[in-house]
Amino acid sequence: MEAPIHVHKRKSKKRLQQAIEPFNREKLHKSIVVSCISSGAPTGQAESIARKVTDEVLTWLEKRPEVTSTDIRRVAAARLKTYHPDASYLYENHRSIL
Amino acid sequence: MDIFSAFAIIGLAALVHASFQLSVSVLTLMSGHTIGTKKSRAKLFRLSAAYTSGAGIMSLLLLSLAVLVCLHIFPSGVTLGAWALNSGVALGIGVAIWLFYYRQRKKGTELWIPRAFADHLTERSKATKRSVEAFSLGLVTVIAELIFIIPSLMLSALIILQLPNEWQLLGLAFYVLISLMGLLIVWLLIGGGHSISKIQKWRESNKKFLQFAAGSALIVLGFFIYVSQVVAVTTGAL
Repeated sequence: MEAPIHVHKRKSKKRLQQAIEPFNREKLHKSIVVSCISSGAPTGQAESIARKVTDEVLTWLEKRPEVTSTDIRRVAAARLKTYHPDASYLYENHRSIL
Repeated sequence: MDIFSAFAIIGLAALVHASFQLSVSVLTLMSGHTIGTKKSRAKLFRLSAAYTSGAGIMSLLLLSLAVLVCLHIFPSGVTLGAWALNSGVALGIGVAIWLFYYRQRKKGTELWIPRAFADHLTERSKATKRSVEAFSLGLVTVIAELIFIIPSLMLSALIILQLPNEWQLLGLAFYVLISLMGLLIVWLLIGGGHSISKIQKWRESNKKFLQFAAGSALIVLGFFIYVSQVVAVTTGAL
């Protein structure tokens, strides 16, 4: 069985050991679906794009046992851009709206 | 001051209030998350309506409070010093908006507010699922941008005091209605099916213009009040 990939969170307000968590495929998939639907994509298309992008991110992660959440977001946004540029924009910038 | 001029000044002050982007950003975030999590259009409408109502109620309460305070401080008419002070605050905050409104060298529409406050509003806008939460988010958001809306509120309160009694309530309602214009436009756009990303892209690409317009309008307002209420009176032009 492969060792889990550890993700260093962007910023932790809690204890240091809580700033690292195992990579969660579902979490990435869901956040991409939310961006696609918010950008006007139908649900079926959003699910399909999210699956493809998540697979591509997983391939990228294969040789990286530890990454930061910012790395994952950057790579996922770059892959998402090829399928849905508007969703990619929202996915990349949702933290800089406020 | 005649009624038409008073309403024109209240309208301009409320437009400056409407041009501030914090409440629009929170509405954009909340709507984006509601649509993204596949909630119904009816739910989105209810949340947006509750949020806008919350922002409107808080604006009304703050303006009413400002009028009440001014009424108690100046029972026999607003003094020249008060006009000059409020004009100065409007000019100062107008310049501050030119310089600091958006965070420099940052992507997106990040505003110059404490990061802890922005993070809290971001988290709350994503977690909002019920109308009552959206309503309270609207209340809080207006308080969060208080530093920017103080001059608009204070100058409007002083102008409302100049109106005949029967026009004062209308003045309050007029201010609140105009101050909600930004929110109402975004609400209509989202309700009409425009995608959140397109709205946000427009806001980002026009943020310098919005910043310049808000700061300039506040400076014009402060300057006009200073000339019409201080200079004109002291030089005997009125």
